[in-house]
Amino acid sequence: MSDAAAKSVQDERRSRLIRNGVLAVLALIVVLFPLIGDASMENTMILALIFAIGASGLNIITGYTGYLSLSQGAFLGIGAYVAAILGRSMPDISPFVWMPVAGLTAALLAMLLGLVTYRSRGASFVIITIAFLFLVQFVATQWVPVTNGTAGITFPLPTWSNAVWGNWPFHLVLVGLLALSILVSWWIRRTKFGTGLIAIREDEGKAGSVGINAPIYKLLAFGLSALFVGMAGTVYGYYLSFVDPIGMFSILNSVIIVLAIILGGRGTLLGPVLGAFILVPVDAFANNYLGGGNIRLLVFGGLLVLLVVLLPKGIIPTVQLLLEKRRTKGTVGLTGSITALADRPLPPPREKLAPVGDTMLLQVTGLEKSFGALKAVDGCTFGVPEGSITALIGPNGSGKTTVFNLISGLMTPDAGEIVLDGERIEGLAPWGRAHRGIGRTFQMTRLFREMTVLENVVAPLRDFQFRQLGLGAVSGSEAEKAEEFLEFVGMQAYRDARAGSLSYGQQKLVELAQILVLDPKLIMLDEPAGGINPTLIERMGGLIRELNDQGKTFLLVEHNMPFVLGLCNPVRVLARGQVIAEGSPAEIQKDPLVLDAYLGDDYMLENRSGDGAAAKGEGR
Amino acid sequence: MIALTQTLILGVLAGAVYALMASGLTLIFGVMRVINIAHGAFAVLAAFLTYSLWSAFGLDPLLAIPFIMVVMFGIGWVVYQGAVRHSRGSHVSMTVLVTFGIALVLEGVMGIIWGNRSASIRTDYTDASVEVGPFFFPQVQLLAAAIAVVVLIALYFLLNKTWLGRAIRAASVNESGALLVGVSVAAVAALTFAIGIATLGAGGAMLGAIQPIVPGTHYQWIARLLAIIVLGGFGSLPGAVIGAMIIGVTEMLATTYVGSAWPVAVPFLIIFIVLIVRPQGIMGARLREDLVS
Amino acid sequence: MAASRATRIAALTAGLSLLVGVSACATDSGGTTDDPIVIGASLPLTGEFSQGGLDTQQGYEVWVEMTNEAGGILGRDVEIVIRDDATNQNTVVTNYNNLISVDDVDLLLGSQSSLLNIPASAVAERNEMVFVCPSCGSPDMFNRGFEFIFFSQQAVATDQARVFAEWIAALPEDQRPKTAAYPSLDDPFAGPVVDGAEAILSAAGIETVYKDIYPATTKNFDSIVAAIAASGAEMVVQGAQFEDGVNFVRSMNRAGYEPDILYQSSSPTYGQQYFDGVGEDNTQGVFFSTSYSSVASTPGNAEFLAKYEEMFGGIPPEDAADGFAAGEVLKAAAEAVGGIDDQRALADWIRANEVQTILGTLSWNENGSPKGDFLVGQWQDGSAQIVLPAEAATSETIFRWRGAAFE
Repeated sequence: MSDAAAKSVQDERRSRLIRNGVLAVLALIVVLFPLIGDASMENTMILALIFAIGASGLNIITGYTGYLSLSQGAFLGIGAYVAAILGRSMPDISPFVWMPVAGLTAALLAMLLGLVTYRSRGASFVIITIAFLFLVQFVATQWVPVTNGTAGITFPLPTWSNAVWGNWPFHLVLVGLLALSILVSWWIRRTKFGTGLIAIREDEGKAGSVGINAPIYKLLAFGLSALFVGMAGTVYGYYLSFVDPIGMFSILNSVIIVLAIILGGRGTLLGPVLGAFILVPVDAFANNYLGGGNIRLLVFGGLLVLLVVLLPKGIIPTVQLLLEKRRTKGTVGLTGSITALADRPLPPPREKLAPVGDTMLLQVTGLEKSFGALKAVDGCTFGVPEGSITALIGPNGSGKTTVFNLISGLMTPDAGEIVLDGERIEGLAPWGRAHRGIGRTFQMTRLFREMTVLENVVAPLRDFQFRQLGLGAVSGSEAEKAEEFLEFVGMQAYRDARAGSLSYGQQKLVELAQILVLDPKLIMLDEPAGGINPTLIERMGGLIRELNDQGKTFLLVEHNMPFVLGLCNPVRVLARGQVIAEGSPAEIQKDPLVLDAYLGDDYMLENRSGDGAAAKGEGR
Repeated sequence: MIALTQTLILGVLAGAVYALMASGLTLIFGVMRVINIAHGAFAVLAAFLTYSLWSAFGLDPLLAIPFIMVVMFGIGWVVYQGAVRHSRGSHVSMTVLVTFGIALVLEGVMGIIWGNRSASIRTDYTDASVEVGPFFFPQVQLLAAAIAVVVLIALYFLLNKTWLGRAIRAASVNESGALLVGVSVAAVAALTFAIGIATLGAGGAMLGAIQPIVPGTHYQWIARLLAIIVLGGFGSLPGAVIGAMIIGVTEMLATTYVGSAWPVAVPFLIIFIVLIVRPQGIMGARLREDLVS
Repeated sequence: MAASRATRIAALTAGLSLLVGVSACATDSGGTTDDPIVIGASLPLTGEFSQGGLDTQQGYEVWVEMTNEAGGILGRDVEIVIRDDATNQNTVVTNYNNLISVDDVDLLLGSQSSLLNIPASAVAERNEMVFVCPSCGSPDMFNRGFEFIFFSQQAVATDQARVFAEWIAALPEDQRPKTAAYPSLDDPFAGPVVDGAEAILSAAGIETVYKDIYPATTKNFDSIVAAIAASGAEMVVQGAQFEDGVNFVRSMNRAGYEPDILYQSSSPTYGQQYFDGVGEDNTQGVFFSTSYSSVASTPGNAEFLAKYEEMFGGIPPEDAADGFAAGEVLKAAAEAVGGIDDQRALADWIRANEVQTILGTLSWNENGSPKGDFLVGQWQDGSAQIVLPAEAATSETIFRWRGAAFE
C-alpha cells in the first residue's frame, strides 16, 4: 500500500516535471516566435495572442463564475476605440501609452454589464450579452463627434522601422499581456476570491447562504475579465491601424473567444489559451485554403454545435480525465463506505431535553409571501428560544421551506419582520444574514459539486473584506478549523474527494460541517434526517445534540416524527403558512388542531413515524 | 396627424408578420426551454427558398407558402434530430450556443447556395398600394398581414383544440406528467420544433416578397424576434402577438420621429431593459434559472 | 519588399546588444524575368460588401485576361491571387500579410470599400508596396501621410455629387426645385456624397426639408419614405449603396410619392441588377454619379466591354470597371518605370503622371487622392447614359424622374 503510494507520488512528480518542461518550451516558442515564423505566421500569432488574452479573461466569468458571455469581443473593440479616440487628440503619443486607460475603461464597462447579473442569469444573460455587444456597436456608430461614426478612426503607422523591428513590439507587448492575464487567472484560482467565484458558478443561491457576497465577487470578476482584453484591444487597433464599428464589434470575434474556452476547457488555467491557439490558425486556414467567408461560417458554426454536443468539457479536462482513469485503474476509490463514521464515540443520549430559556434568538412576526395567487406563507409568527433545538413541522406544502428561505434570505418576504438577536434582518442579503450568524442546510443538499470536500468546507465566509479576497483558498488556521469540523462530522477521510461523488447522507454531513465554519448562532437544518439511512440519522441526531450542548441554537424542519419528538423542544406546527400550534413535543402530540392539519391534508402520520420507528429500533 | 396615422398603419402591418415569425420561437421555448438563436436564419432560408421557386418557376410567393411550410417542417425536424436534441440535457446557455452555431452554419450554407448578393422578388403587387384617403397600405404587406392572421389562428386552433396541441401543452407544463399519460416528450419536442419552423416558413416566404434578402441579415431578425418574445414573455403566444405589434409600431415611430438609425437599437434596448426590469415580460413566466433572488 | 527573416534576426540581435545601425538590406528577386508577375489582392467576396467585391473581382480578372492577351507587363505574363476577406478587417490584414510574405506577390491591388482598404493600405505602406485601390473614396484615407496609396477613380466621396449639384443650382428659377430631402446610408462612402451635394444646393437656396442617415441594416423604407413624402420634398438626393437604393424606389412606389428629381449615388450604377431591382419604368430619369459609363468612348472601353461580355455576360457594373482601371494604373506605372522591384519609383511615377483608363484620364494629388470629377449619369429609356459634363455626355437631353425633359 505505502509502496504504491510512494510510486504514485513519484509518478505524479515525474509527470508534473514533464508537464512543466513542455509548458516552458511552448512558452519559449511563443515568446521567440517572430524568429521562426514568416510575416503571415507572425500575423496569425498576433491574432492568436489577442484572442488568447480575450479567452483567458472571459474564462474568469465563464469558466470560474459560470456566466456565459458573447460580449467579450466588445471589450476588445472598446479597448481599441479608447486608444484611437485618445490618440486622435494627442497624435504624437505612442498608442501603447493608452493601454492602461483602455484596460480600465473596458473593465469599468464590464462591471456595468456585471450589474445585470444581479437580475439575470443563464440563457437570458447570454441574450443580454449579445444585446450589449450590438448596443456598444450602435453607440460607436452613432456617437459621431467622438467615434467618427462608421468612417472609423485611423491610427498612425508605427514609428519604429518595419525592416528592423517588424512586429516585435506588438508581439512582445501581447505576450506580456497574456502572461499577466494567465498569472491573474492562476492567482484567482488559488485564493478565496476564486473559491467564491466557483461557488457562485456551482450554486449562486447556496453561495449567498454561506456568506459569499456574490455581487461584489461578480463585479470584480467582470472587471478583471475585461481588463487585459481591453489593453490587448489597444494593440489590436494599433496593429490593424484602424478601428470602425463593423470590424471591431463583429460578433464572430466573440464567438471565437467563447469557442476557444469551450474547446480548451472551461475553468482550466490554460485551456482557453490552448483553444485560441488552435482556433485562430484554423480560421486563417479556412480563410486561405478553403474558400473564405462562407466556409468560415460553416467551420465555426459547425464547431460550435459539435463541441457542445460531443466535447462539452473541452480538451484539457477530457485529457485529464483520461489520464486520471489510466492512473487510477485498478485502485479502489473512496466511495460509499461509512466505516469511518464509527471512529468517533458519540456522546450518550440525554435523558432530559435541553431547558428552554426565555430569550428568543430568532423572532419571526407576521411573515407573508405569495407566489402569484398562492399564499405560501400567511402571517407566520414564531420564536426560536436561545439554546433550544426548535422544530418546525407541518404537512407537505404548509410553507416550511419557504419560511426557511425567507429567514435565510433566499427569498424576500412580502411583509413581516425577522429579528435575529435583537436586529432586524429581513432586508439583508443572504450573505449579510450568514455574516450575522445564520447557517442553513438544504432539503436536497446543495454542496458545490465540482469542489473537493475540503474546498467546500473552507468556502463559507464569516464576513466580507476586500483583503480577504486575496488570501489563499485553503490555508492556515481556517484549513485547520475546517479539518476539525470534518473530523467532527466524521468525514475527514473524504477531504479530497469531489463533493458530487459522495452519497446523499455523506453530503448532508459535509453540509453541516460547511455551515459550522460560519460559527453560526442559529443553525437551520432542512430535513436533516430525510432520505438517509438509519445509522446516519442516529449520527445526525448525536451531532445536533453535541453542538447544542456547546451552545448552538437549532431550527429544524423535519418530517421524521420520532426524530423530532426525541430531539426537539419546543415544536412549532405550520399549516397553510401559519403557525397553528406551539409547545413541547408532548403538548403537540395531544393537540387536536395538529392532527386535523395533518389528516386534513391526507397526511399519513403513521407511515412517516413507521420509518422513523425502524430507525429508532436499530439505533438504540 | 396624417404622418402619425400612416406610421401606425405601417407598424401594425409589419407587426403582423413579425408576430407570425415570433410565434414559432416562443412555441419552441415554451415546450423545450430552448432559445432558438437560429430562428432568424431559418426565416431568411425560407425567404431564399421562396425566391428560388419564384425565379425558377415563376411561382407566386404567396402561393408558395404551403409548399415552403412543408419543406421548412422537414428541415426543422432534421435540424432538431441532428443537433438541437443532443444539447437538451446540458445547461440552457449551451443550447443557446448550439442554436447560434446552427445559425452560423445556415448563414454559410445560404451564402454558398444563393451567394451573398441580395435577392428580391418582384411581382405585380409588391410595389403597389391600396390608397384610402391620404393613407397608403402597401398591398404586399396587407396580404402578408392577412395570411399571418390566418396562420396564427390555425396555430392557435392546433394548440388548443387538437390532441397534438394538448400533448404539446402537457409536455410544456410538466414533462414527467406528460410521460405518465402516454405522451412521448421526445416526439412532441421534435414535432414542436418542426411546427415552429414551419410557421416561421410562412413568415419567411412573405419576408421574401416584402424586402430583399441577404444571408447576413439573420442577426437583425433574431434580435427583433427575441425582443418580441422577451417583451411578450417567453413561451406565451398571445404575448408574442402583442410584443410583435409593439416592436413593429415602435420601430416605425422611431424611424419617423427619432431617426432612421434607431430601429436597429430598438430590439436590443428592449431586450436589455425588459430582461433586467421585468424578466417575465408582459405575459410570461420567468426563466427558471432567473429565480436567484 | 518585405525584409527577409535573416534580416530581422540580425536586426534583433543587433538591437539586443545595443549595436544600433543595421546595414542589412533585403536580398530578393532571384527568379528569371520570364516568370509571371504575380499580383495580389484581397476582396470581400462574402459578407456585407460582397456585392462590390464580386464585381471588382470580375474587373480584375478581365484586366488580367486582356493584359496577357496583349503580351503581359514588360513582356511577362500576369497572374492574380485573390483572397476573400469576408468583409472582415482582421482577415483583410491577414490576407495582405499572406500575399506579401507567403505568396510573395510582386504587386498589390486594393480591396473593395474604404473600411477594408484603410487597414489593408497600412499593411502595404509598412511593407512599402504600391497600393492602387479601386474603391477607397473616404477622404480619411488620404490624410495619413501615406506614400504608396492611390485611388484609381476620379474623386473622393465628398466631391462625387459636385457636378450634379452645381448643375441643379444653375437651373433657371422656374425649373429648379425649392425643397430637397437627403436620406443617406450610414457609410463613409455614401454620407459624404450627400453632404457635399447639400452644401452646394442649400447655398443656392434650395431648402432642406428632410435629412437623415439610415443604417446598413434598413430593409424596409416605407416609414422613411412616408416621412419624406410628408415633408413634400421636390427633390430627393440619396446616398445609397445598392440594395438600399432599390428598396427606396420600391417604397416610393408603394407610398405613391414622386419627386421631380431623384438622385442616388451608387445604386443606379449597378446596371442590370438595378434595372431588374426597381423595374424599367422606375429607372427613367434617375440621376447618379459614376466613375464609369459603358457607353463612353474612353480608350480601351470597347475592348473591355467585349471581353466582359465574353467572360461574364452582360454590361459590366461600375465596380468591375473600377477594378479594371486600377489594373491599368498599375500596368502603366510598371511599364513607364521599366521594372517592378522599385516600388518607390512606381509610386513616384504615379504621383507625377496621368494615366489613360477606361474611366477617362486619372491624375493624383501628393497624398494619392485623385484630382478629377465624377460623371453624372442618368437612366434613359432603359439604359444608363452620361449627361454631364457636356464634353463627356452621351445624351443631350436630361429628364425629370419618370417625367418630362428639362429645357
